Amino acid sequence: MTGPDDQMDPNDQTNPAMTPDDALAADYALGALDRTARRDVELRMARDPAYAAIVDGWQALLVPLADAVAPVVPPAQIWNRISATIAPVAAVAPARSFWSSLPLWRALTAGATAVAAVAVSLLVARPDPVPPPAPGALLTAAMAATDKSAAVLLNATFDPARGAVILTPAAADASAGKQPELWVIVGTHAPRSLGVIDMRAPQAHAIPADLRPLLGQGVTLAISLEPAGGSPTGLPTGPVVAAGKLAAI
Amino acid sequence: MTNVTDLIRWLSAAGGGDTVALKSLYDATSAKLYGVILRILVDRQDAEDVLQEVYVTVWRKAAEFDPARASPITWMVTIARNRAIDRFRSRASRPTTGLEAAAEVRDQSISADMVIEASQDARRLGTALATLDPRHANVIRSAYFEGLSYDALAAREGVPVGTLKSWVRRGLIRMRSELTP
Repeated sequence: MTGPDDQMDPNDQTNPAMTPDDALAADYALGALDRTARRDVELRMARDPAYAAIVDGWQALLVPLADAVAPVVPPAQIWNRISATIAPVAAVAPARSFWSSLPLWRALTAGATAVAAVAVSLLVARPDPVPPPAPGALLTAAMAATDKSAAVLLNATFDPARGAVILTPAAADASAGKQPELWVIVGTHAPRSLGVIDMRAPQAHAIPADLRPLLGQGVTLAISLEPAGGSPTGLPTGPVVAAGKLAAI
Repeated sequence: MTNVTDLIRWLSAAGGGDTVALKSLYDATSAKLYGVILRILVDRQDAEDVLQEVYVTVWRKAAEFDPARASPITWMVTIARNRAIDRFRSRASRPTTGLEAAAEVRDQSISADMVIEASQDARRLGTALATLDPRHANVIRSAYFEGLSYDALAAREGVPVGTLKSWVRRGLIRMRSELTP
């Protein structure tokens, strides 16, 4: 690049010519923005490729600075912690964590199809305040208790047309005064929060548009008990009380 | 030395749920990212927590990585720095932690940064930085490595924020013109 800046007097204190977009992109690449401003930049990058290219240019320009930092080999247990988070079944999980209950509910939900049949009959039999969703594309999961009873606590039906999961309690409230939170787990990926729910009353629970594509056949829905307001970490922090796999009706 | 093609292949496989590929990626890159994170945070416990968060984030976002837009290292270093800076700032905002004290501790090692040269790119960048006013080069390095906001940097340098921003932007533009053929 050539321009008037090349000839600038180094003692000149005036601001060099830099468009606001360019300056913001440079601030982002440098790390000078606070979290909110940074997220604004990232949202804009996602929908404006030309702007993303400006940011990418600054990132690429500055990244050799990181080469100047001496590498430090991290302690071995870090990988174990990462591994425990991303591949729960294969990993040794700490006691009382969300993951400690995973093999249990995985085993329980293996029989989800049979349970789902029961669930559908329950769903049809009970008077439901929520209008019945149009047939065809619905997916349903019988959310079974993760304790020995394996009783169905809740039926969950995903209606893509409404972008909502219809939750119908099938047993007494199991939330024990905590805040239940609904999660979707795709394969061995980490759970994604679908938001806090009420286990005591039927409800249509809206699913954010960006998460709806995750809700397909065979994915697991789970409910954990969290502090008021939901999980503070973005991952389940309390015990999983119910889980089930989505299957076509 | 791992090449870029390997990193791209592992990222792509990790995006598809391959944990073995993520382990390969981790083995090849964790020392570099840990060094960068530690440089920002100093505290090892904090740095370990952030390193863990970074690879969990890489795992979740791997499918979004676009090799046409950035190198794998640029992409991962960005995630690592953003996480480390967030952690540093949340720590600095605690009333008992003095931001200035933390900055002073780390200030000692800034001048040594460019001595350890790992790549041709780093040498070129070092050369470009050397053409700047030393104070301007220094605030650019500090902003990059220490998670300090412009406000905090201006306070440290004893100049108005507007002047500080002018130093940084002038320096960056000059670096860009030096580095862009």
